[in-house]
Amino acid sequence: MKTLLINALLILSLFASAPVLAQDEPLRVGMSGQYFPFTFVEQDELKGFEVDVMNALGDQLGRSIQYETANFSGLFGMLEAGRIDTVANQITITAERQQAYVFSEPYVYDGAQVVIKKGNTEVQGVEDLKGKTVAVNLGSNFEALLRELPYADQINIKTYESNLERDTALGRVDAFVMDRVSASQIIKEKPLPLALAGPPFSQITNAYPFRDTEAGRALRDQINQALAALRDNGTLASISEKWFGTDITQP
Amino acid sequence: MDVLNVDYMLGLVPVLLRYLPLTLQLAGAGMLFALVLACLFAVVRVLRIPVLNQLTIVFISFFRGTPLLVQLFLFYYGLPQLFSALTVIDGITATVMGLTLHFSAYMAESIRAAIVGVDRSQTEAALSIGMTNSQLMRRIVLPQATRVALPTLMNYFIDMIKATSLAFTLGVTELMGATQKEAAGSFLYFEAFIVAAIIYWIVVELLSKLQNHLETRLNKAYNR
Repeated sequence: MKTLLINALLILSLFASAPVLAQDEPLRVGMSGQYFPFTFVEQDELKGFEVDVMNALGDQLGRSIQYETANFSGLFGMLEAGRIDTVANQITITAERQQAYVFSEPYVYDGAQVVIKKGNTEVQGVEDLKGKTVAVNLGSNFEALLRELPYADQINIKTYESNLERDTALGRVDAFVMDRVSASQIIKEKPLPLALAGPPFSQITNAYPFRDTEAGRALRDQINQALAALRDNGTLASISEKWFGTDITQP
Repeated sequence: MDVLNVDYMLGLVPVLLRYLPLTLQLAGAGMLFALVLACLFAVVRVLRIPVLNQLTIVFISFFRGTPLLVQLFLFYYGLPQLFSALTVIDGITATVMGLTLHFSAYMAESIRAAIVGVDRSQTEAALSIGMTNSQLMRRIVLPQATRVALPTLMNYFIDMIKATSLAFTLGVTELMGATQKEAAGSFLYFEAFIVAAIIYWIVVELLSKLQNHLETRLNKAYNR
């Protein structure tokens, strides 16, 4: 009986101390690790723009960061299930997502870009995608952007977990749609015969999503404060310069 | 055709090998639990224990009748949605659970077949000298059934090692997950995946050697 009482007290005290403990726990951040140069792996090391920004936010908040990598399409499921606290993977703010999650202030301003195999003269911009096969990442906002086009029913959209750049370079699809900055960077640094087709066709703003709960909103407020501080002291701009040679963190 | 980047491949070997232990642990744990479960199921099926027998039939039917990937998603993403406490099932646990349940369903059937395959006269002889049902199983039937079941069970183990590559979809970075990420970063797909393929191949080859060795040992009594 006595031990039962002690055990019960122990368990109670654990619950009581949980909110305090939460502060010391690492911030669990989900990312795909497959989105060069935002988040990618080289020789077993996770790096990229997202990693640098998140580490800077962690320093600012005085919290360690624990990265969880999974395929992009699984990240929101992990957030929903409480396995991670937020997603750092260029999540574009959309009306649909805003119904389910609360977002931080945007930290990347970018555009949707059509990318083709070098030498493909048939596709010179988004208007040429009619009747073509176009690759997008599964669960990404670029699929939604394509579906919004007036001639969307004439586009054959193919969804990928990863590696759509390669399939475009191989000619298996006519084009892929991704954000402008990482597409430009891939063309510049990686051995794939790709080219940009036309100007970006839609503006996108990217931010961190959080669960729409009290804890989630509190975390969003903390991240917003830390983001503002990093913006003011120039950290955000310099991380962007490092990866892209330009500041994509300003509108 | 582009020239193969051999330096990249060689550099990748030690990196990917770091993830081999996790792959083997997932398969090892899955195999251990699956064996125990499969033996229980098989015995229930052979002895036709009421209620349990029917439950086992439904269980085997479900876990054999649905893709492993669907089961993994159910455990990892599905269950925590219904019961938030089940968030404690992390990717590694969900993978081991999935491998265990999925493969135990298959293995139960092959173990059952092996048990049924033991000549009926053996059972009659054991019962005639007064052995209980459990003595009969432990001393007479299972040792003989093991010999028959071993090749198929090893086959399932080999299959299970390769099935661990699905764990990356649950956020577990095992051998395949590490390879996918390295490939996505370097865009050198052939190089990365051929290194992973060779590592899997060598592991499975070693296991086949072990299987041959075990089979020879278990066959000793039958060689004259």
